[in-house]
Amino acid sequence: MTYVEYKMLNPMQKFAYNFKKFFKNAPGAIGRFFKAVGLAIVHFFVGIGKGFKDFGVTFVKGDWATKLSYVIFGVGDIHKGKYYKGILYFLVEVLYVLFMVFFGGEYIYKLPTLGTATKVVEYDEFGFEKVLDHGDNSMIILLYATLTIVVTIVVFAVYISNIKDAYRHQIMRQNGEKPTSLKVDAKEFLDGKYHITLLSFPILMIGIFNILPLIFMILIAFTNYNGKEHLVMFDWVGMQNFGNLLNVVDSARKANTFFGIAGWTLIWAIAATFSNYILGIIVALMINKKGIKLKSLFRTMFVITIAVPQFVSLLLMSQMLTQDGAFNILLSHFNGGVNPRIDFLAGTPLMARMTVIIVNCWVGVPYTILSMSGILMNIPEDLYESARIDGASPFKTFTKITLPYMIFVTTPQLITQFVGNINNFNVIFLLTGGKPSNPDYHSAGYTDILVTWLYNLSMGEQKDYGLASAIGILVFIICATLSLIVYNNSKSMKDEEAFS
Amino acid sequence: MKKILAILLAGMMTATALAGCGESGGSGTESKADGGSQADNTSKSDGGGATIDPSFPDESLFGDETNITLKVWAPDKAVNLTKEQVKAFQDHYSNTTFASIEVVAQGESDAATMIVNDPEKAADVFGFPSDQLEKLVDADVLSPVTKGFVDTVKANNAEKTVTAVEAEDGSLYAYPETNDNGYYLVFDNTVVTADDAKTLEGVLEACKKAGKQFILDSGNGFYSCVFAFTGGAVIDGFEADGETQKFVEYDETEVVKTLMAFAKLMKDYKGTYTSQDPANISTGFKNGTVAAGVDGSWNSTADKEALGDKFGAAKLPTINVGGTDKQIISMFGYKYIGVNSHTKYQRAAQILAYYLTGLQCQQDRAEKLGWGPSNKAAQEALADDPILTAISEQAENAVPQVKIAGTFWSSMGTLGSELYKDAWNPDDEAATKTLFEKTIANIRDEG
Repeated sequence: MTYVEYKMLNPMQKFAYNFKKFFKNAPGAIGRFFKAVGLAIVHFFVGIGKGFKDFGVTFVKGDWATKLSYVIFGVGDIHKGKYYKGILYFLVEVLYVLFMVFFGGEYIYKLPTLGTATKVVEYDEFGFEKVLDHGDNSMIILLYATLTIVVTIVVFAVYISNIKDAYRHQIMRQNGEKPTSLKVDAKEFLDGKYHITLLSFPILMIGIFNILPLIFMILIAFTNYNGKEHLVMFDWVGMQNFGNLLNVVDSARKANTFFGIAGWTLIWAIAATFSNYILGIIVALMINKKGIKLKSLFRTMFVITIAVPQFVSLLLMSQMLTQDGAFNILLSHFNGGVNPRIDFLAGTPLMARMTVIIVNCWVGVPYTILSMSGILMNIPEDLYESARIDGASPFKTFTKITLPYMIFVTTPQLITQFVGNINNFNVIFLLTGGKPSNPDYHSAGYTDILVTWLYNLSMGEQKDYGLASAIGILVFIICATLSLIVYNNSKSMKDEEAFS
Repeated sequence: MKKILAILLAGMMTATALAGCGESGGSGTESKADGGSQADNTSKSDGGGATIDPSFPDESLFGDETNITLKVWAPDKAVNLTKEQVKAFQDHYSNTTFASIEVVAQGESDAATMIVNDPEKAADVFGFPSDQLEKLVDADVLSPVTKGFVDTVKANNAEKTVTAVEAEDGSLYAYPETNDNGYYLVFDNTVVTADDAKTLEGVLEACKKAGKQFILDSGNGFYSCVFAFTGGAVIDGFEADGETQKFVEYDETEVVKTLMAFAKLMKDYKGTYTSQDPANISTGFKNGTVAAGVDGSWNSTADKEALGDKFGAAKLPTINVGGTDKQIISMFGYKYIGVNSHTKYQRAAQILAYYLTGLQCQQDRAEKLGWGPSNKAAQEALADDPILTAISEQAENAVPQVKIAGTFWSSMGTLGSELYKDAWNPDDEAATKTLFEKTIANIRDEG
């Protein structure tokens, strides 16, 4: 189909064409995705192989000091006169050895079993207890072992850089060059290597406070860390937690819960995102329409709802929607004074789910109005002017100028909102708390989404951290995949310059 | 200038990283117990009476411990009283030097989780409700009651509170502190007569006539377990594996019949029988919309204040199942004071825990906080308090709140919610049976 042919189709046909095209191209897209992943893996291993090759080649070509650097950090640098750096390298090695001997080694040793020692006590003649050994705590072992592994990786990087540096200085000496002084190197950090000066501290902090806990939490997904019998001593269980969630045959209850909740989570995320988006656009358009008076008043009125904290609105709503709440009292006036006792939040699943989506508009639409108003005001007026001169109807102007412009600008925002809604803990937890109950589910109700289920499992009485962690990983995979696919197929990504 | 700006930006990035950490760290340690372990308690009662003082053990027991530093966890409402008691403790042992005994507010339902998560930094002496005991024992963080005290503690405290913490070898895991962690029937005695209060049908009929509500939190496993318990499906600790909830032998048709009887009442008295948070009982009393409810001992003060002279209390009523009146069986817990095995002053911690659960301190708490004592002598002094009478009568028809699986609360809550739903058909025996079987499977984490 040529471009002209396409342009002549009516909207329904266009939709059908695009719909068909999407599914026709889907296998190819998926194939490309896996090819790209495969290539990345290949590149990774080729890189490692190259690293090993360099490692060997340097050893063969190196002089005695460079060769000694393979065992003792910094010897090469010191031999070539680069004293301060050599000493720093050497210090790193000494500190690392001390760290491993007095701290890390023990935890690495216990990592495969996650601890076996139990409490040892003795009693005096009156019966007072004396604790000789408190026994192992698997969580502490896992945490410190993770720390030790990360430290080891960092030291390994220093080790490689020590070898490279030794060899570089060897080459420099062969070429008759002198190593640079400390002063010159320090100055370099304010000039050529300024990015390192700036970013080292933030990266260190991110490593300690984000990456390290993240690795730790991911590892928990492979243990039976739960409140049953394993709060202090737990073991590796491999993929069992994932099996519980995904194996519909052997672990029917948990797997059914997972798939049931995952399905509702997606429906919820789509409904919540688009209801807010569409309603927000409509209201923003109405406010921004030419000839509307008191624009700023209307805008302020909507924004005021943002001033009330979200959780306050939600808690209020959940009170108003109970069987004896304000809504039912209001309805009783139309019902001859009899309270209809409609259970909006814990009655039928359909009613509860719809209520959640509608109430979510209350807290979400103002934000869309706000950002949309800004975007609407930014559309170049000359586009509209030329459309008017060409005799375009207001509807045509909307579908041909306003809508494409807005979708172009807001696709990344839509993706963020979608992911945000998949993890929209507040609305579900504060409004329904997962109700109505579902006896077929494992500790979850009809309106529970994956994160609130995760919360029930980890913060409720069960303390099933292993299972909760596995759910968290699966949520991440779902979110990451969806966002990547949508973003890569969006116009904002493919055609960055379209509206500039 | 640019560089300064860049440094500022980098600083902000760091701050964001730290902020992110704060969130995840917080969610790791905080925890919220649902209904299962209602910790705070504000019921009030009169009482007193002097008896011999079995509170202070001999000072020589401190042994070589000097310069003692201890941390005590007490629930918010009890902090001030505990501070006074600790002061008296220090004053009494004038020959022993105390560096400091710190009293810190800590909700009892979370105490066990906090201790297990980080025993090194946690309190040396702490209060906890009985359903948390299993967790503490599994984690091996409790120092059992010192052998020299065991006989005295056993002799002085009510039998049920002792057997619930008794290990197989006869030692005690912790010191009994209260004997009142349960719920009972509260009612407005101008609407519901004492005679009505004997049967659930009577209570509901009286409420309906007056156009007022009856509240039983049917979506909360702590309360809704009465449906299954009354039918005979009573829990009995764990199976041999130590983690699967064990039920005593029960007759399934009988349980199903009882569940159907409850569901029938919910439907017949729709609008009268309501499932709401028990906190709504006292507000409902105040504005006249509620005439009766099943409420816990910790809300007694509020209920009493709301009703004044009209306040009535009784054990839970009976329910008519197939022609026979069955007593409603509830869940009943106790509170204990335990010693953290990581304490550096084992002797002082044990003596302090012994003292804090001794006669004098229990009487103080009964007088000032309204906590029902576990000490027999203190109980006798309070025998004519109507609330404590109702509680102790219900305790005779209750399942002890010990050794409860984590899956118990939410599954029992679901059972209650399902029965209460508008769409539920109370005459559908097959559906009730399936629901009950699913509930048991959920609790036992099967399939």
